[in-house]
Amino acid sequence: MTRKTFTKIGMFIGLVVSIPTAMSHHSFIAQYDPEQPVTLTGVVTNIDWMNPHVYFYIDVKDPTTGAIENWGIEMGPPHMLQKRGWKRNSMKIGDVIEIEGTRARNGSTNANARKVTMTATGIVLGTASSGQTITSGKSD
Amino acid sequence: MEIKTSHTVKYFAIIVALYALSLQAVFSQESNGASQRPVPRWPDGRISFTGPPDVIGNWDGPVGASLANDKIYNELFPQTRNLPTNLEIEDVPFQPWARKLYETRRANYGKDDPHTRCKPSGGPRMFHTPYGFEILDLPDAGHIIFISVGTPHSWKVVYMDGRPHPESPEPSWFGHATGRWEGDTLVIDTVGFNEKFWLTREGFPHTAQLHLIERLSRPDFDTLRYEVTIDDPGAYTETWSGGWLIPWVDGNEPFDYLCQENNLDGRHMDAIDN
Repeated sequence: MTRKTFTKIGMFIGLVVSIPTAMSHHSFIAQYDPEQPVTLTGVVTNIDWMNPHVYFYIDVKDPTTGAIENWGIEMGPPHMLQKRGWKRNSMKIGDVIEIEGTRARNGSTNANARKVTMTATGIVLGTASSGQTITSGKSD
Repeated sequence: MEIKTSHTVKYFAIIVALYALSLQAVFSQESNGASQRPVPRWPDGRISFTGPPDVIGNWDGPVGASLANDKIYNELFPQTRNLPTNLEIEDVPFQPWARKLYETRRANYGKDDPHTRCKPSGGPRMFHTPYGFEILDLPDAGHIIFISVGTPHSWKVVYMDGRPHPESPEPSWFGHATGRWEGDTLVIDTVGFNEKFWLTREGFPHTAQLHLIERLSRPDFDTLRYEVTIDDPGAYTETWSGGWLIPWVDGNEPFDYLCQENNLDGRHMDAIDN
């Protein structure tokens, strides 16, 4: 198996680990494209702590053009996030967040997060939706 | 439309399969260990589909399960919980229109599933939807109630008092259900469904002629065996059966899950920007 193959497989391990919950409410593959993994860093502009999926929104700056795009990021339902250590105030508007996830199949600026990193503290949180790969971090 | 099988999707499928195998191993280990716990029974000896008083938990509808073995779905989401007696998808006695509709839904990755629009999930769909369901056996009231978090936040009443089905039941999401015990197996007979839901997330269609006979048993503490006979001459040329094994999850409890609170999935899947 080539290094490239390993890399590709590695890219998807996080996605795969999340399949059961990713399928929880909607077919993951109907909404998100496994061929479009994304890593985004941005400032939180809004948080919808609601069912069936918690969404938060981040302003992401294009490093080349400086243009700012607002991305909607999907996680699991509040209850499942709480079981994984999240609290309602684990993330606040203005926080800088890095997410690793999968882009929406329709090409919109939406993604399903499998890993959320609080940039200021390095705390990593699982997302109870498309990714539960890393849940070692703790929330405040 | 055909599902893509690019190299990347193949890698994805390989990893899914590996994960499913590990998940199956986990289930097996849990089952082998925990199933040493005796299946709980009520004081009168009747089998219980809940935990004993000192055990919190409930049943978690498995996503890796369907009414028939479908190789295409199995490549993407391994159906590890299917009953060994399930038919191959090619052998399901679809009416021609129903097979075509199933294949269209599959080609769209299930994006039109009413469940994802927060519509109630009747019939078998209730039993492979995650987040947990409980089975409340209320002999004094003469019925059994299924309460389900994921379907979403809904319930199904099964009358155990010997009443017949009404002559013309009002079409509904969960139908009119009557039940009886055959030994340790709960047998539920349901008619009066509407046509607004899918039988499973894979998109098995049905019509208002749908008549279900569901059989639930608990072969060990951690396993609920679900088998359903589908009698719907509108969508199938003959009756057929399928089912899956549902795991017990210690610690699971019902929780608030009002799907319609902020559901964006439908519009995302209909390709409308946020």
